Amino acid sequence: MGGNHYGVMKRIILSCMIGLPLVLLLSVLSISYYFFTHSIESATTASIVRIVEDHRDMIDTFLRERKADLAFILRSYTFKALSNPRELDAVFERLQEKSNTFVDLGVFNEAGLHVAYHGPYKLVGRVYREATWFKEVMKNGYYISDVFLGYRRLPHFVIAVGRQEGGKTWVIRATIDTYMFNHIVEGVHIGKTGEAYLLNAKGVFQTQRRSGGNLMAGDPEALELPESQSSTRTFMQKDSRGEKFLYATTWLREKNWLLVVRQEKSDAFKALYTATYLVLMVSVLGGAVIILAAFFLTGRIVSRIKRADTEKKDLGEQLIRASRLAELGEMAAGFAHEINNPLQIIRSEQALIEAILSDLKEAGGLKESKDLAELEDSLGQIRLQIDRCAKITQSILKFGRQSEPVLEDIDLRDYIPQVTAMISKKASVHGIKLVHDISEDSPLVNADPGQLQQVLMNLLNNAFDAIVSRHGSEGGELTVGVAPRDSEKVEIWVKDNGSGISPENLKKIFSPFFTTKPIGKGTGLGLSVCYGIIDSMGGTIEVASEKGVGATFTITLPAAG
Amino acid sequence: MKEMKMMLVDDEERFLSTTKKLLARKGHDVLTATSGPEALEMLREHNIHVVILDVKMPGMDGIAALKQIKRQYPMVEVIMLTGHATAESAVEGLKSGATDYLMKPTDIEELLGKAEEAFEKRKRLEEKIRVAQMRTLSGSPRDIIRETEEP
Repeated sequence: MGGNHYGVMKRIILSCMIGLPLVLLLSVLSISYYFFTHSIESATTASIVRIVEDHRDMIDTFLRERKADLAFILRSYTFKALSNPRELDAVFERLQEKSNTFVDLGVFNEAGLHVAYHGPYKLVGRVYREATWFKEVMKNGYYISDVFLGYRRLPHFVIAVGRQEGGKTWVIRATIDTYMFNHIVEGVHIGKTGEAYLLNAKGVFQTQRRSGGNLMAGDPEALELPESQSSTRTFMQKDSRGEKFLYATTWLREKNWLLVVRQEKSDAFKALYTATYLVLMVSVLGGAVIILAAFFLTGRIVSRIKRADTEKKDLGEQLIRASRLAELGEMAAGFAHEINNPLQIIRSEQALIEAILSDLKEAGGLKESKDLAELEDSLGQIRLQIDRCAKITQSILKFGRQSEPVLEDIDLRDYIPQVTAMISKKASVHGIKLVHDISEDSPLVNADPGQLQQVLMNLLNNAFDAIVSRHGSEGGELTVGVAPRDSEKVEIWVKDNGSGISPENLKKIFSPFFTTKPIGKGTGLGLSVCYGIIDSMGGTIEVASEKGVGATFTITLPAAG
Repeated sequence: MKEMKMMLVDDEERFLSTTKKLLARKGHDVLTATSGPEALEMLREHNIHVVILDVKMPGMDGIAALKQIKRQYPMVEVIMLTGHATAESAVEGLKSGATDYLMKPTDIEELLGKAEEAFEKRKRLEEKIRVAQMRTLSGSPRDIIRETEEP
């Protein structure tokens, strides 16, 4: 498996882990955003429509009431009575009691002559026959004017009502306090920027606009005025500063004035903007979290898989090595066994030759000579070499034909010191510090005590050789440790600070006949026998080493029970 | 007592003949057999004290032959000759009644030593039997009388 393989795997996992949650997150956010926007927009629009209609009704009611006030006076008094200034004063006072929006009150005869007046100006005697309002009253019976300057040079508007009396029409006219009226119209508060104002049919301000717009000035936004008496309308429009506004307009019923309620769009849809902001933030943060989590998890998954693969490979190699060793053992044992028979014959023959030779010598058939001595020496050598062969075959047979271990529960806490006690003398002779690192909670192991001793002695003796070859008789350290590995296994390790094992030798260390000792000193079977013994007990033996630093052999045995 | 009579049982004929010659030189009379059945045949014909028996033989193997020998001739001492280096096959032989075991390749001196040991054992055993028989024969003076009286 190459690195490329993991790269592809990483890309696939990464794209799935980023793509899927991201698509889900974004679709949930955009769907909810869409519906939320929709509902906020319609709710806001509905609310501004309701406000404008309620406000229109209120202004209409105000105008209607003022008209009714005047009509009531007209019905209650005669022209003659009201022409009397004192009577007019009294009436005005009563009128003011009811509504303080009236500024003045005037009485006009049929010809438009101002007959009587109560108010701050001197208007008696003026003739209004040609004034629009007078004509309208004559025609319709009442009139509400736009705001105008008139003789007073002050913005105001009037309500005039006429009455037929004895074939003659007379008229009373009242001026409405623009300040009070402004106050009524403006009295709308929506959000921060919500405001209400009136425009006349020509688009001229009839009340002041809070955000700027003077009485009687033209509307700077030049609203497109809807047809009169059409229903309520809402729309968006930019003002001169480029600010977008949400408008709602409706015509008053009592007077063709357009009531405008408007609010800055950003103010009206404040909740919407907050939501948009939040949605964006959640998208960005959520996306970032998803991507980070994906990278983190993918990294972990891939490294986990890599590790599992490596472990699998190691395990496979271990299995191959174990089975190869087992095969080798079988083969070697068979081979050794077969060699023993001819070896036996050779030995018998050699013994026979020796016997014949000595018989001949005794009988005087052979004289002592140099040749005879060489012959005897040679025979002796044959005998020695047969012994050597026998030793080898015996070692091989030990490696190949392990007798069945007799398993017992062994307490390593007592057992290990017993084994090491056997070599403590040798250790002190070589100046080797023998250290025990035995964990008190080591469980019992299930092993053959004799065979385990053989293995440990082998490892300890090897460690001695390695230490002596590096340190001579000073500075050696040998640690024998025991510790539980998990609930089912126990580890025993033998660690030395000797000359260590080179990497290429590490690979072959458990193979039979592999030895680094000089010819004749080692058969190369010790560790392979150890391997076979530990294997037959259901355990494993491993080695780790660095050349020139030391080596650690670790035996893992199944815990008892 | 009489001379030790040995028999070598092995499928390697050269081993038999050489060892026979060697032992003859050392003054021992040795019989040989190349298989289990042949060994049993020889035992029937000759009074043999010690048998040196190879464990691994074609046909009837050493352990089977040992069991037969011990069943038919319990007094015969058997020494197993094993090619296995482990005690495993030796233990099996000893359990089945062998007196001792030898590992191949073995020294002629070692072989002879063990054979003589076994022969001594056999002699001691025979001695014991003889004493025991004597004791029954001469348990009391009256017994002798009784025996003579009851022919």
